[in-house]
Amino acid sequence: MGTTFLPVASIVSAACGRDGWMIVLPAFVLGIPYGLMVLSLLSQFPNKNLLQISEIVFGKWIGKLIGVFYILITGYFGGLLLGQAGDIYERSIMPLTPIGLFYLGTIILVFYLCKSGIEVFARFSEAVFPLILLALILNLTLSISRIEPGELLPILSEGVMPLFWGGLKVAPFAMEYILFMAGISAFLPTDMKEIGQLRREVCRAVFLVGILDMFVALQQILVFGPFETTRVVYGLLVLGKMVEVSRTVAGVESLFLGVWLGALVIKISAFLFTTVWGLETVMNLKGLKWQIAVCSVFMGIAFGFVRGSALISEIAFVDNYLILPFAAIWILGLWGAVRWKKGKNIRGN
Amino acid sequence: MRSWMKMFKELTLRPKGRQVRKTPAYSFDEDLNKPVSGPKVKEILSKSSDVVFREFYLQGKESIPCIMAGVDGLVDKNLLDQFVLKPLMVDLPGRRELAQVTLANVVDSTIQYLLPGLEIKKISKLGDAINAILSGDAVIFFGESKEAIVIGARGWANSGINEPVAESVIKGPHEGFTETLRINTSLLRRKIKHPSLRLISLKLGELTNTDIVVTYIDKVASPDVVSEVLRRLSVIKMDGVLESGYVEEMIEDFPYSPFPQIAYTERPDVLAGKLLEGKVGIMVDGTPIVLVVPAILTQFLNVNEDYYQRAMTAILFRFVRYIGAFIAITAPSVYIAVTTFHQEIIPTDLLMSIAAGREGVPFPALLEALLMTIVLEILQEAGLRLPKPIGQTIGIVGALIIGDAAVKASLVSPLMVIVIGITAVSSYAIPYYDLSLAVRLTRFPLMVLAGSLGFFGVSVGLYAGLIHLLSLRSFGVPYMSPIAPMRIRSLLQDTFVRAPWWAMKRRPQLLEIENPRSGGKGKE
Amino acid sequence: METKRHQKVNRIAALILIVCLLFLPGCWGKREVEELAPLIGIGFDLGKKPGTFLITMQLAKPKQGGGESVAKIEDRTFSVEVASAREATEMVYKISSRIPFMGSLKVIVIGEGAAKAGFNDIIDFAQRFSEFRRTMFLVLTKGKAQTLLNMKLRDGELPAMSIKNHMEQGNNLSTFPTVRLGHYLTILGTQSTAPILPIVESIKSGEDGIEYNNEKEGKELHIQGAGVLHGDQLVDYLTDQETKGYMWLENNVQNRLINTMDDKGNVSFGGQVLKSKTRYKLVNNNGVIGLQYQIQASISVDEVIGIKQQLSEPEWVDLMNQAENSYAKVIKEECELSIIKERDLSLDFLGIGRLIEERNSSYWKTIKDQWEEKIADFPLTVNVQVSVHHSGMSSSSSTTNSVEEGKE
Repeated sequence: MGTTFLPVASIVSAACGRDGWMIVLPAFVLGIPYGLMVLSLLSQFPNKNLLQISEIVFGKWIGKLIGVFYILITGYFGGLLLGQAGDIYERSIMPLTPIGLFYLGTIILVFYLCKSGIEVFARFSEAVFPLILLALILNLTLSISRIEPGELLPILSEGVMPLFWGGLKVAPFAMEYILFMAGISAFLPTDMKEIGQLRREVCRAVFLVGILDMFVALQQILVFGPFETTRVVYGLLVLGKMVEVSRTVAGVESLFLGVWLGALVIKISAFLFTTVWGLETVMNLKGLKWQIAVCSVFMGIAFGFVRGSALISEIAFVDNYLILPFAAIWILGLWGAVRWKKGKNIRGN
Repeated sequence: MRSWMKMFKELTLRPKGRQVRKTPAYSFDEDLNKPVSGPKVKEILSKSSDVVFREFYLQGKESIPCIMAGVDGLVDKNLLDQFVLKPLMVDLPGRRELAQVTLANVVDSTIQYLLPGLEIKKISKLGDAINAILSGDAVIFFGESKEAIVIGARGWANSGINEPVAESVIKGPHEGFTETLRINTSLLRRKIKHPSLRLISLKLGELTNTDIVVTYIDKVASPDVVSEVLRRLSVIKMDGVLESGYVEEMIEDFPYSPFPQIAYTERPDVLAGKLLEGKVGIMVDGTPIVLVVPAILTQFLNVNEDYYQRAMTAILFRFVRYIGAFIAITAPSVYIAVTTFHQEIIPTDLLMSIAAGREGVPFPALLEALLMTIVLEILQEAGLRLPKPIGQTIGIVGALIIGDAAVKASLVSPLMVIVIGITAVSSYAIPYYDLSLAVRLTRFPLMVLAGSLGFFGVSVGLYAGLIHLLSLRSFGVPYMSPIAPMRIRSLLQDTFVRAPWWAMKRRPQLLEIENPRSGGKGKE
Repeated sequence: METKRHQKVNRIAALILIVCLLFLPGCWGKREVEELAPLIGIGFDLGKKPGTFLITMQLAKPKQGGGESVAKIEDRTFSVEVASAREATEMVYKISSRIPFMGSLKVIVIGEGAAKAGFNDIIDFAQRFSEFRRTMFLVLTKGKAQTLLNMKLRDGELPAMSIKNHMEQGNNLSTFPTVRLGHYLTILGTQSTAPILPIVESIKSGEDGIEYNNEKEGKELHIQGAGVLHGDQLVDYLTDQETKGYMWLENNVQNRLINTMDDKGNVSFGGQVLKSKTRYKLVNNNGVIGLQYQIQASISVDEVIGIKQQLSEPEWVDLMNQAENSYAKVIKEECELSIIKERDLSLDFLGIGRLIEERNSSYWKTIKDQWEEKIADFPLTVNVQVSVHHSGMSSSSSTTNSVEEGKE
């Protein structure tokens, strides 16, 4: 979820101008029903991930097909994100360093994290999240002095329709999270009390990230105005560049970048995990060597997209036309099918 | 949200007149009000190896079996042998009264005719008896008699107990463990006078036969941790154990990690405090250093004095220590990264003076920093082993050479000297020597990463370190708890801040176990 | 078995890491501080050939002062005639022994010629290249930026540094707009507002009523007035008065020195603006929509000129009311001057279009397309409210009643 902070403002302001910030939170909230669906499936099929459940519900071959899709999408997207890590660094603070080193450094972290297991991964996100929060808050508060007055007004001058399209652009962020949940579900506790707790956690996480993202978008529109916000590639970094603490420190984006790297590592690891689980369930490929294999595939994809502009449009493409429809249809379909079967069984008895 | 409010209230509202500390319920709690009984006391106390029981017959009469109990190390053995056991056991002819002693009048007769001591008292409650034993008195039980005799035989070692050099405090007790195991257990016993304090004896080392005592508080320490400690100790096979460091290396979880996974202390008050938190102590004969497990990272940055000072000042000093640790790890690498990769961070005026300072310095910043750090390490190491008078010379030479002459000769830049100085001072703010060693070690790879990849390298290094720390466990307890897995209660109570004692209602959450520390709250 | 393999993997991973660490100091993209020549200011002029710019780069060369470790800054200023900013860097690179470092750039000076021709193409580099920050200042100069940057200042400071220091203190004076690159780009983004940039000029002794000791070599700089741009092209200059009016109307005044001197010989006042706030209101006057400015300012009275007699307490209170009125009058005059200018130019440098959009976006949509024609007769009113907080450490004047020379 962490990396959504970087592009979110640019995406929403492109879609709906100065009102873009309003749609961020609702679009994230869209993820909640999906999260709850995953949890309800989980309570019915304990210790199984969604791919295994699909095989049970839809039959082996359709299940496998979905699994292959799942692996392809998550694997491809993970690689793209790795590319983004390199792109961010090369573009903003270290233009002369070979981009491969950024890929390498990041993938080493990701691999190390995944090798240490899901528990360490969970703890890592837990430890890094406060850092992200702190960096965001610092970034936002320190750039308050750069706010241009009146950039937010008028509200809703273009009507509500653009907001809807903007929402569609943001919704994939929540769906990325849901895809990860689909994979992690096999590891989640299954008794009812804890599922209740998980429900609250899901809502809390979605709201927290949604609200933060909203503030990020809001602040950028306030500082840059909608036109510039659209144009700036990684707005938050530019915001970081504009931070000035009196005359001592000017522009601390390289420090903030360290935190964003943590966020990216979390996200790429999440996709590495999902891909590896996918391989495990669908093709029964287990063990360290497959993790290494997936890592090298990530590296390959990243090297395939050293061109930053192509990378960004590719990420947007995968987000909008692969992840969003896939997650939306698959999970909804699965949940619906399970409900329907259950209803039939009850009637049948 | 409401749970947050509740927690906040719980932590801030001062309980008025409420009991703040409470021990867990024990199976023997009810017995404490019952009349004295030798076998019962033995049953309760015999789980600790330092309580000794001497069974004998009064004046050789088999109708009156006696048990004398006392804590080894606390009682004066000479006095007991000469003036208690001897008169009680050895038959003195010609005393008519003694011939008619029965269970009914044995206590009075003994006091009147047999015991010569001054400080002798009659008690009838079991609880009093246990209290007396654990406080260092000896207690004699007579068969089924409903009364017992307390003999004031306190006599513990006071000589040889000095303040530990490595762990000195300003406010707090100035005593430390010694090289003798018995004295050490008695020091601990004097802090915790409760039957639930367990001391379990072991022998390690096939040739040295070193005595080891595992100590914990029953029902406060996690039984899983206790049994794991005992299991790991029992599988150790080595010919000699000369210091607790031998044991430490044999039982720690991740031997390749530079970070200490087992805490140690030389202070009885620290050990007692840790035991009250639910930890397990391992005492080794022949060394004043007692190991404490399980250890978490943040504990290495907290010191016992935090608990003796006012909470507000303690919070400030903890804050200073955390900052110090962070600076000690990152300062040189950040300096390298900033001056060789990210000059845009530096304000223009400062940039000019850094550049002017580096004018004529023949080394790149990375090499300069590495050299300086290595020189610093050499100075530290050299000063450590030298006798004190020569040690001071090292300081002067170091200050002159590194500080002044090197700058004047344009070998290093003045700012680098400042950075290295700050780093050195910061690393002394880390209270545990083991941790500061780990910090000194991790500095080097970070500097190399900073010199080659700037902040990206530093972040990669720090994150790798973080992942490493997160994957560590000490006796089943995640090393980075309570930060991750996050335990908000512990975070607010006793990690970065130190809540006032009245707000510390629960013991730290290790593993998933949660123990009530105070009255009321835990029982809901 | 599994653990053994794990250990092996661990060991291999550790080995790889160590090898990486050993070979990493290949130092990609590494620049030692002392190898850099920090760029402090950059100036843009038109080149002689069409399509080229004359780019002036002011680099600082840090130098260790003899014996002391206090840094001294040496001036290295180059001007090159090139088609792109990157080419200029290349040229400078060739001459200078150090790497021109852009991250420290604080000031962009745009010469008159370049400003008139439009400078967005050349400024694109400044907002795109990652080392630059959007917080740097944009200034105009009448004449060439080259001459300005090459000027020798009397205190030995680099002109670019001096401009930067001036701009950072701009808030205390509030007589010229401090325009940062980010602000300029945002204004461009609004599409209806015309950007405005402050003007830096060199002044010789004797100019503008300022004299200084001419013996010491060098000149002085000052910032006064502003230039109005149409997009990126300079259209006209604002006078000092008009710029001050702009500052009031833009709600940009923080602290300002103000005086009410006029030729008529009335009692006049000098003081400092302690606080000011400008509010905007759209008023609908029988179907004609107009904009009302409401300026509220708190001003102190620091000097009173022209009272010839001791005043009693009520008289003094009256005088202070008079002071409020004269202050208000001065402010209003300044504002009206700049409104007249705006109407003359038909360029919305006051950002009125945006103000309308913010307050009544549906009305704005109807007039948006003919906005430039509409500016000339769009109804604008200015209300000024001044409150004099105090008159300093004394009341009344120092002249006494007994010496009544001035009294008629």
